[in-house]
Amino acid sequence: MSSKATNPIMRSAAWRISLWATLAFAIGTMLVFAMLHRFVANDIQRRSDAWLSGEVWVLGDVAQRTPKDRLYRRVVGEVAELASREVPNRQRSTGNENDSVFFLQAGDDGPAKLWVGSGDGSANLAAIRSTKALVDVPYDVHVKGFNVPFRVAAVRIADGSHIYLGLSERDELRVLRSLRVRFLTLWLAIVLLGFVIVFYATRRMLGHVREITEAASRIGQSDLSSRVPNSRGNDEVGHLARTLNHMLDRIENTVHQLHTITDSLAHDLRSPLTAIRGKLETALSNDGRADQAEPIVSAIDELDWLTDFLNTSLDVAEAKADALRLSRTEIDLDELVKGMLDLYEPCMSDKGLSVQIRSAGSVKVLADPALLHRVIANMLDNELKHLPASCSVYLLLEADEDMAMLTVEDDGPGFDVDVRRQLFERRVRGRESRGHGLGLAFVEAVVRVHGGSVTATNRAEGGARLSITLPLWKAAPEAESHTLALTKG
Amino acid sequence: MRLLLVEDEPEIRSFVEQSLLEAGYEVDTAEDGNAATQLASKHVYHGLIVDLGLPDQDGIELILQLRRSGITSPVLILSARRSVDDRVKGLELGGDDYLTKPFAIAELLARMRNLLRRNSSQTEDATRLRVCDLELDMLKRRASRGDEILNLSPQEFVLLEYLCRHAGRVVTRSMLLKEVWGMRIQPDTNVVDVHIYRLRGKIDTVGREPLIKTLRGIGYVLKGN
Repeated sequence: MSSKATNPIMRSAAWRISLWATLAFAIGTMLVFAMLHRFVANDIQRRSDAWLSGEVWVLGDVAQRTPKDRLYRRVVGEVAELASREVPNRQRSTGNENDSVFFLQAGDDGPAKLWVGSGDGSANLAAIRSTKALVDVPYDVHVKGFNVPFRVAAVRIADGSHIYLGLSERDELRVLRSLRVRFLTLWLAIVLLGFVIVFYATRRMLGHVREITEAASRIGQSDLSSRVPNSRGNDEVGHLARTLNHMLDRIENTVHQLHTITDSLAHDLRSPLTAIRGKLETALSNDGRADQAEPIVSAIDELDWLTDFLNTSLDVAEAKADALRLSRTEIDLDELVKGMLDLYEPCMSDKGLSVQIRSAGSVKVLADPALLHRVIANMLDNELKHLPASCSVYLLLEADEDMAMLTVEDDGPGFDVDVRRQLFERRVRGRESRGHGLGLAFVEAVVRVHGGSVTATNRAEGGARLSITLPLWKAAPEAESHTLALTKG
Repeated sequence: MRLLLVEDEPEIRSFVEQSLLEAGYEVDTAEDGNAATQLASKHVYHGLIVDLGLPDQDGIELILQLRRSGITSPVLILSARRSVDDRVKGLELGGDDYLTKPFAIAELLARMRNLLRRNSSQTEDATRLRVCDLELDMLKRRASRGDEILNLSPQEFVLLEYLCRHAGRVVTRSMLLKEVWGMRIQPDTNVVDVHIYRLRGKIDTVGREPLIKTLRGIGYVLKGN
C-alpha cells in the first residue's frame, strides 16, 4: 500500500490541519507586517524629508547672507553638526561620518560652486543633474560609488544657483532592515512554535477521536459490553464519547431485553416440548403395535418440525436485530462445502440430480460453525426440495481480495417471479414448498450478521442462482482495519 | 452404575428417570441445587445429569460447586437455551457434555454412555470390531460380512463403524450428523436416511438377516450380538 511508502505522520489529519492553520497564520502575520513596514518606512521618510527641507532652506538662507570667503567654513560647521544629529539610532561605528551628508551649491551647468562632503562631489553633481525631479520636494539620487541612494532636497537662491543638501538613506535603510530581520526571526520562531503546538494539540484531540472510532468499531463487530474511552472533560470529544456510550447503553439494554425475551420464550416452550417428546418416545418404545406407532411417529416428526421452526425463527429474529450471539472460529469453506456435499450427494443422486463443485482451494473465513453449517445445509436443502429430477446443481467457491463467495446454481425452473422479490423475508414459501419458509431468511440473516451478503437471481440461461459472500479471514484483520482508519482519518 | 438426575420439571424428570432405569442404571433424582448437593455429599455417583435452569441455583454454579467439593464424575448438562453459552463450552472442554432441549431419549442415553466410558478410561480393541457376522478391520479400513468383503466408501465405513460401536442401541439422525459428519444441523430433508439406505443395501443383501433396523421417529439401531 502506498501509505507504507511515506511517513504516516505526514498523512495524518493532525499534520494537515496544523499545516494549513500555520500557513494561514504565517500569511496573515506576514501581511500585517508588510503593512506595518510600509507605514514605518513612509513615516521615517516623511519626517526625514521635512527635516531635510527645513535644513536646506536654512542653509540657503545662510548661503545668501554669508560672504563667499566665510561661507565654506560656515557650511562645513553646519554640515558637521547636521551629520551628528540628523537621524536617530544611527550607527557611528561604521566610520566616515562625512559620507552621510553632503552640501552642494551649483548652477544649472558648469562645476560646483561649493562642495562640502567626502570626495570631490562631481559624481554627486552628475547624479543630481541626471535626475529630473521637482525642485521643492526631496527626492532620491543614486550616486556612483555609493550603495545606498541619497535623499536630496534643493532650494534655489538669489544668485540663480541651487543649493542641494544630500542625506544618505543608509541609516534609514539600516533601521528598516534591522526591523525586518528582527521581525522575521521572531515570526519564524512563532510560526514554528505555533505549528508544533497546533500539531500536538490536534494530534491529541484526534487521538481521542481515533480511540473512540476504534472502540466503536470493536463494539460494532462483536463486543457490546465495552465502551468507548471517556477520560476527557467537557469538550466536544468528551461529549461525543458520552453520547456514544449513552447510545451503547441503550442498545445493550435493548439487546439484553431481546435475549431475555427470546431465552424465556424458548425456555418456556422447550420444557413442555421436551416432556411431550419424552412421553411420545416412551410410548413408542413400550407399545409394539404398528397401528399405534404410526400416529406417535408422526407426532414426533411434527414436534421436531416445531422445535426447528422455533429455533430458526428466534435465530432470524435475533440476527435481524443484530443480536445473534456468535462464537466465531476459523473455517475452511472448501473443506466444509466438500464435507457437506459428501452428506448431500447420495440424496441428490437418488433424486436424479447431478452435483458438480468447482473450487480454487482453501478459502478461510471467520464464522460461527454451527450457523454456517446450517446456512449451507439450508442452501442445499433448498435445491433438494425445489429442483425437479434430472437437473444439475453447480457449487462454485471463489475468493477475491476481501470476500469469499459461494454460489449455488441450478438449471431448474428458477425462482418464482412473485416470490423472488421477498425471498429473504420471513415466512415466504413457494407454492409447493413444504418447509417452514424460513430457510432463505435464515441464510440471509446469518450471512449479514457475519458481514456478508446474499443475492438471489435467475440465470439468463434458466435456473436459479443463490450467492453468499463472507469476509475472508486474514492473519491480522484488527491491525489491518486500524491502519486503514488511520490513513483515512 | 448410579446416576444423579437434577431437573426441576417433574414431567421431564419422570420420563428421563424411567428411561435411565430401563437402560439399567440406578437413579436418584433431585429437583433443585440444594437437594442435589445434599445427595451428592451422601452418595457416590458415577455420572450426573444437570438441568441448567434450576429454581434455586444456576446449573453451572451447581456443577462448579460440586467440582470444588471434590466430585469428579462426568456431567451431562441439559440446556433449554438455544445457543450454548461459553461457560457450558468451557465445561465441555473439561470432559462434560451438553444436550439442548428437546432431546431424543436415545441421544441422552448415548451421551451418558459415552461420558461414563470416557471416565472409566476403558480401552477397546482398536484394531478390530465384531458385531454378529460383521467384522471391521480398523487398520485396513475394510469391512466384511461373513466371508464376503463389503465394498464400502470411506464415508460408509465411518458410518458403519459408528453403528457398530453403538450396536444394540438406538442412534438418532442428529447423533449421526454430529459424530459421523461433524455437523450440528437439522436438515429438513432425508439426507441421513439415504446414506443408511445405501449402507443397508450393501450389508443386508438379499438372503441375509437384516442388521440395520429403522425405528421410525427415533433413529436406527444395528442389531447387537
